[in-house]
This record gives sequence, C-alpha cells and structure tokens, in this order.
Amino acid sequence: MIKKILAIAKQETSENLYYRFDLALYIFNFIIQITVYVFIWLAVYKNGNQILGMSFEQITTYYILVVSLSPIIDWGINETLGNSIREGEILKELLNPISFFCYYFGIRIGEMIEALIVGVITFFICSLLFGVLPPSGIINFLIFLVVICLAVIVVYFFEIIIGMIAFYTNSVWGIEIFKRSILNIFSGMIAPITLFPEFLQKIANLLPFKDCIYTPISIYFGELSNIEILQVILKQCIWIVALYIIAKIIFNKAVKNITINGG
Amino acid sequence: MIRNIKIYFSFLGASLKRMIEYRVDCIIGMISQIAFQVIELIFIWIVFQNTDNIAGWTFEHLLLLYGVTMLSLAVTDVLFDSTYSIGYRLIRKGKFDTILLRPVHPLISILGESDTTTSLGYMVLSIILIISMLIKLQITITALLVFKILYLGILGGLIIGGIQTAFSIAGFWTYKSNEVVWSVFQLHKLAEYPIEIYNKFIKVLITLIFPFAFAAYYPTLEYLQLGKGNLIFIMSLIVIVEWIIVIKIWDWGLNKYRSTGN
Repeated sequence: MIKKILAIAKQETSENLYYRFDLALYIFNFIIQITVYVFIWLAVYKNGNQILGMSFEQITTYYILVVSLSPIIDWGINETLGNSIREGEILKELLNPISFFCYYFGIRIGEMIEALIVGVITFFICSLLFGVLPPSGIINFLIFLVVICLAVIVVYFFEIIIGMIAFYTNSVWGIEIFKRSILNIFSGMIAPITLFPEFLQKIANLLPFKDCIYTPISIYFGELSNIEILQVILKQCIWIVALYIIAKIIFNKAVKNITINGG
Repeated sequence: MIRNIKIYFSFLGASLKRMIEYRVDCIIGMISQIAFQVIELIFIWIVFQNTDNIAGWTFEHLLLLYGVTMLSLAVTDVLFDSTYSIGYRLIRKGKFDTILLRPVHPLISILGESDTTTSLGYMVLSIILIISMLIKLQITITALLVFKILYLGILGGLIIGGIQTAFSIAGFWTYKSNEVVWSVFQLHKLAEYPIEIYNKFIKVLITLIFPFAFAAYYPTLEYLQLGKGNLIFIMSLIVIVEWIIVIKIWDWGLNKYRSTGN
C-alpha cells in the first residue's frame, strides 16, 4: 500500500515540478508576505511595545516559519478533488484498485513535496534577508518535524471531509475558501495564538489546527515541556482517528448518492 | 481614439452582462473575497491589540487606508481581470488569432472581455470601510470629497491595472500568464500599509518603480487632509505616463508573439 501511495506521489510531483518557473513565483510571493509582516511588527516594536515576552527576532522567525510552512499545510487536495468531482473523473478514481483515501493521500504527498521545495527555499532566502533564530535543539527540531507530519495527516482528513461537500454543491471555489479561512485563522498563520483575544484563543484550543502551525513553532523555540509535547502528539493522534472515522462515514454516504456530471 | 473607447465599453458591457448571468458564481466569488479580506482585517486588529499606532497611524486610519486600497482593487478587478487569462484562455486555445484580426487594437478586445465575480466583494468592503471610517474620524463628507474618492479610486485602479497589463505579456512566452500577473499583483500587499514602515528600497519600489503607493497611500493622505501638492493632477499625470509606457511594452511583447496554431 505504501508503495502504491509513493508511486502516485511521485507522479503528482513530477507533474507539478514541470512548471518550475511557477515555483519561483510562489517563493517570490511568500517573500513579499514575510516582508509585510516583518515591517509591520518592526513598527510595533519601534513604539517601545513589549509583546508577550516575544522578542523582535522571535516574531520574525515566527513569521518566516509560518509562511514557509503554510504551503505544506494549506495547499492540499481540495482543488484536485473538487475538479474531479465536477468533471466526473471521480468515477474512475473510485474504481481504482487502490482505496480512495490512499489514492488522494498519494496526491497529497505529491503536492507536499512541491510545497516543501518552495517552503525550504523561502526559509533560506528570508533567513538571509531578515535573520532567524536557530531551533532550540536538535531533538526539538526533530519533534517539530514529527508534529508537522502528523499535522499534514490531520489536515488531509479535514480536506477530505470538506471536499465531500462538493458532492452536493458542485462548487470548488467556495470550499477551498472555507477551508483556507479556517486554517488561516485558527492555525496561527496570521499571528501567534497567544496574541489573540481570549474568545478566539478558546476556539483555537478546541480545534486541531493550532497544532499544525502554532504548536510546532513553539516546539521549535523550545517553549513546551516534554509532557506538553506528549500531550500534543496524543491529541493529534486522537484527531486523526476521529477525523478518519467521520470522513469514512460521510464518504460512504456521499458515494451512495453520487450524481456525476457526464464523465 | 474615441472610436476605440466606444468599442471598449461595448465589449465591457457585454461581459458584465455575462457575469450577472451566473448569479451563484457571482455570490460565491463575492463572499470568498470578503472572507480573505476579513482575515487580513483580523490580523490588523490583532496587531492593534498590542499597540495603539503604527508609524503614527491609528487603527481607524489604517482601516481607511485598507478601504481605499480595496476600492482601487475593485476597479482593477472589474477592468483588468482578463489580463490573467491571455496566455491560457486566449493564446493556448488559439482564440488570440481571431482577436488580432479584428480592426481594433488587440488590447481593447482583451480588456473588454473582463468578467470577474470577486470585484463585488472588494467593492462592498471598501464602501463599508471608507464610509464608516470617515464618520469615525469625523471628516465631513462633502461632494468634493466624494468626487475625489471616486476619481482617485478609478485612477488607482488604472495604475494597478497598468502594471498587470504590462506583465501580462509573459503569456506570449509561457502560454499561461496568470501566475506572473498574479505575482506582480501581490505587490499591492506592500502598499496596503503606510509606507513609512518600510525601508528605502521598498519605498522606492512601490512609489517609483511600481507606483502602488499612489493607488492607496497618497489618496488616503489626501482624504485625511495631510496631502501635499495637487494629487488629482499628479495622479492623472502618472496614469497617462504609465499607460504610454505600458502600451509600448505590450506592443513590443505582441511583436514576439507566435501562434500556437490551432
């Protein structure tokens, strides 16, 4: 099964990497995004504000990491899935000898490799431009990577659940926007969650998305104790199982009532 | 010239009708655009939970600046949306050759085909932000101010649209121009905030090289009665000069165009 997933991922990656010039443009855009964030917070620090014990170097590092990680977390399969539902391709995909969830997970990994290339290059260019703090230790850095891998699985099942809505609405756009809005706010992409007003923090704590961006970066800074790290990983595993079950139930229901436009 | 403008508006009218035809797409486009902007507004709000001003700009000032940016973007979106699709929709599918055969400048045909659903979102948000912030900042809304906002908004849209149009020539080589145009368009993000916060390099970049700052920052100063010089005159001049350059660049790109055959 893993072999099959990897084969699909490989195919997806080589398809994506065909447009190498686009990757350069994505990187350019991410650098612009980071530039805006850095200069805004620089202006805030210039006023002599102390922001919840975060130094300016820390907040710069935070945003460089956020933007570099963002494609890994939020590019996803929703566009591919939505289009394949809209154009009827899904029928072929359902008949594949590999299960539907595995097939799309392969595509997700393929997307992720493209995102990884963009993210890593963005990170290096921006660390030269603005300077970053190194991770607080090798072990912390490894845990940071593990938590991100788990986060990708959490987000993947969330994407599947959201994508199933397209079975009923046929709208690709709306779904993509809905997903991105939720991820952007509650993962800590727009700002560290500790800076949020309290009621937003409460919602963020209930949802699994905080552990996709904000928590891994806290681990990178070495702000979490060992017990807290274990709790995070456990929480992620529970979310993966829960979202998998929900996805499976919705999927089985949706496939029964499937209506395909041509095909 | 006048004939060209007339033809352009008849093209544009036809595509706006087409846009209203698809009501559901229209509404989804609008809501999605508002959703993205609201995320950015939440970001600004969070920033102001930690400070009371950015380079002397208060929260209200910044929201006014944001609203003014949205107005220019709405104009850009309505008029220049088709610059995204030159490579993919027109050249790759061979439609571009038909456009070249028409007895008007191809740019008029292309720009006239703009139909976009997202611009309504920008429009709604910008009107809400501008009006509510003008009231909150206790700036009296006079007929002159309304005229200024509308006129400078259109000029701002033409400034951003000009930059987009110049870069749309990438489609002549890649046959899929949208990513290039989109990337340049994203530079407007720098101009959504007061330019005082940036270093010299970025200031020069967004005022002189890509004059995004004239699409939002300088008009906002004018509305706050902090402007120096006659902005209406300066911006009119910038738009004219910019578009002379843009059309030169575009014609140069057109000379390099090779049909994909069809």
